[in-house]
Amino acid sequence: MSRRFPALLLLSLLLLPLASAEYQQSEWGNENSLAWEYGFDSGFISTSALFTGEEILVRTSGNGEPAVTAFDLAGEKLWQRINNRSLSNDMSPLIHVSAGQGDCGEWPEMVLVGWTDGRIEALLPSDGTLFWSVQSEVAGWGVTGEFALDGEYVIVPTRRGVGQYCLADGEQQWWTQTGLGWRNGVSVSESGYFLGDEYGVLWHVDRTGESLSYPLGLGKIRHSPLLTGAGLVVHAQAVSSSTIAVIDVSNGSVIQQFPGGPSPAKPSLHGTSLVTGDSSSLQIFSCTALCRQVGDLPFHTNGELRWLDDGVILAPSNTPDSNWGLFTFDERENLTYTSLDVGIYGFGTAAPLQFTANDQVFTVFGNDQALLRVFTRAIVEVDEPLIQHQADFDWGTQGLLFIIFMLIGSSTVLFLNGKMDWFYRTSSLFFLIILLLILPDLSTQWSKIFDEQFPTEQEEELWNAQWPDSWLDTQIVIIEMDGEEHAVGGLTGHLTVYSLTQEACDELGFEIDGEFTELGYYIESINGVEAKGWEYFTDGSKGVMSVDSASIESSTIVRWTPV
Amino acid sequence: MFQAMGVHGPVLSPLSELLLDALLLGTAFILLSRPTKRPVFDSLFMVCLVVSVSLIRVVMEPLPNVQPVTVAALLVGAQLGARRGAAFAVLVAMISNMFMGDGWWTAFQAIGWASIAVAGSRLPLVTSAGLNLGRVCIASVIAALWFDFFVSLSLLDGTIGLYEFMIYLGHGLPFDFLHVIGNLTFTVWLGRWFYNLLEEEPTLEEIEFAVVNGHGIDG
Repeated sequence: MSRRFPALLLLSLLLLPLASAEYQQSEWGNENSLAWEYGFDSGFISTSALFTGEEILVRTSGNGEPAVTAFDLAGEKLWQRINNRSLSNDMSPLIHVSAGQGDCGEWPEMVLVGWTDGRIEALLPSDGTLFWSVQSEVAGWGVTGEFALDGEYVIVPTRRGVGQYCLADGEQQWWTQTGLGWRNGVSVSESGYFLGDEYGVLWHVDRTGESLSYPLGLGKIRHSPLLTGAGLVVHAQAVSSSTIAVIDVSNGSVIQQFPGGPSPAKPSLHGTSLVTGDSSSLQIFSCTALCRQVGDLPFHTNGELRWLDDGVILAPSNTPDSNWGLFTFDERENLTYTSLDVGIYGFGTAAPLQFTANDQVFTVFGNDQALLRVFTRAIVEVDEPLIQHQADFDWGTQGLLFIIFMLIGSSTVLFLNGKMDWFYRTSSLFFLIILLLILPDLSTQWSKIFDEQFPTEQEEELWNAQWPDSWLDTQIVIIEMDGEEHAVGGLTGHLTVYSLTQEACDELGFEIDGEFTELGYYIESINGVEAKGWEYFTDGSKGVMSVDSASIESSTIVRWTPV
Repeated sequence: MFQAMGVHGPVLSPLSELLLDALLLGTAFILLSRPTKRPVFDSLFMVCLVVSVSLIRVVMEPLPNVQPVTVAALLVGAQLGARRGAAFAVLVAMISNMFMGDGWWTAFQAIGWASIAVAGSRLPLVTSAGLNLGRVCIASVIAALWFDFFVSLSLLDGTIGLYEFMIYLGHGLPFDFLHVIGNLTFTVWLGRWFYNLLEEEPTLEEIEFAVVNGHGIDG
């Protein structure tokens, strides 16, 4: 009995960091206080808010309130520009442009907005007045990617190509066809522009509009490629995994590849540090002559990632009952994670915005429930050292490492001394801890290999000729109820079956009821119909994941049937 | 595997859930309703056992597919017999799932653990020298794989083919392996202690009977 006690104590010590990791709360909540909040009637906040120096601009989308809304620092609503022609999720980030002049003429300070109905608008941030507007092409939807500024031009990724427009009047200089795109932002390089498409092709377009294509074959490219010292970085999305690839910009060849999880977020660069995210983890790379992975932590994020000036990363967790993640990464390459509870929960893909004004640091959070919360804190000199100090020593990780070393050391000694009972105990615990630590990566890699070896045949969900053409290449939901099929199409931008179903039910006026179980979110009833349960099929294949875990493509057909 | 893959079978309506819970509770009651010399002590002991193991399961939920109940069911079956082992398994599945999510799978978990308890009562895990840890380790490995397989059967509702089911099982192998390692760890660390905890102390009447009987034989 006397030997069991210390052993159990060790077991408790092992479990302690695991338990505390779940509920770790930062000092962020103590330092920041809620300044104001605003709840939009409906819709989503799918992209980060923008601070123009005077106003906070927030973009909302969805069927309820597709708009750009301006607030002052005190939370007073200044103006709102609604676009009722918006087709679906507007997630193209707002771009702030300083006043300037060029060959096309002069332009004032303005905010550029890309809409899913293909419109590109320049608004005056002070009162929302439309300065100019141009219409770009629409194929299912229009603009969803991030603009890039290049001198007197704005480069806009449209649905099937990329165009160069004058900042002064919006006049199109050229437009070049590329591949079908979604959330595929454009980036500017010395030689021109880079963007990706849904077919996994990387495009280079020079400043005259001449294009070159590099079929990477790694998956969909749904973000602005990032220029690093090691090459151009893309995080390509495959069916159930992803690849972080470094590309040689001179010939489009892949220099390096790193595995990633499903549904990647938009990677973000901070000096030579690169952060990527997906449904399974957040990874940090150091990209100098080559990219090198220097840290990773389990986290579920699929949208925007934000580097703050002090090297802290803020990321939305895209899960049904989520918080935000605050990550610190110090010069000793220690990556730590802290959960931020800002009082709004649910799916989220918009990066928080942080800026300084009136001697205060403002942090703006928004999520898929269109809830906006603004926090402030006074600027104090000790802020940065505090965060740095937190990152200096992670007691949980260090403690776990210590226990692992103790276990492997004592296993060896006990084995050599012939104390087999205790050898079995320490070695089994050692293997259990190791397996728990590697399980996320192990299961991801295992599933990937397994899927490659044993591909499942999919019965295609057939296109219904009665559906409108505007539904082509969009996300469609069919709900079977009382012998009838209720179909909603033309939806875009959803990453999971759950969020897509939610929007479809919003359109149909159906209520969804469900519950969170250990297995994920469980839909119990749709429009009050419980039956013996509900099951879903994506493109004809029966869903085997919980709805909040099941990722979908940009042109998926989801069918719900009562059991 | 079941938990980690995030898969589940058909949803039950509140009435069906009530009926399922009533059925499970009734089964446990029938299994436990037999004459006993110490009804109050035995009942209290079973309640403490069920509550504590359920609590451990709930607390350990963040660790994917680390299932202390599997080894506990095996040892309860081995020490207290098939009926009480099965009742223990059913009650733990029911009570812990009240916190972790109740549904169709509860029945499969209850039957899975109950079958392990029955196997524990039939297997020669206990010898004259006490608990044979080597055999318990082997049994706990098989029990982990059997339980994961059995609970996965809850997916077979007529819409999933055999091939898809096999694919599903294949995906879950890392989690099955974790269950196996978890079981081995529990067995080597806590197996003997838990077994001794379950060992029944003889009543005064039993001691008296044994002594008198012994004297009688001697005489």
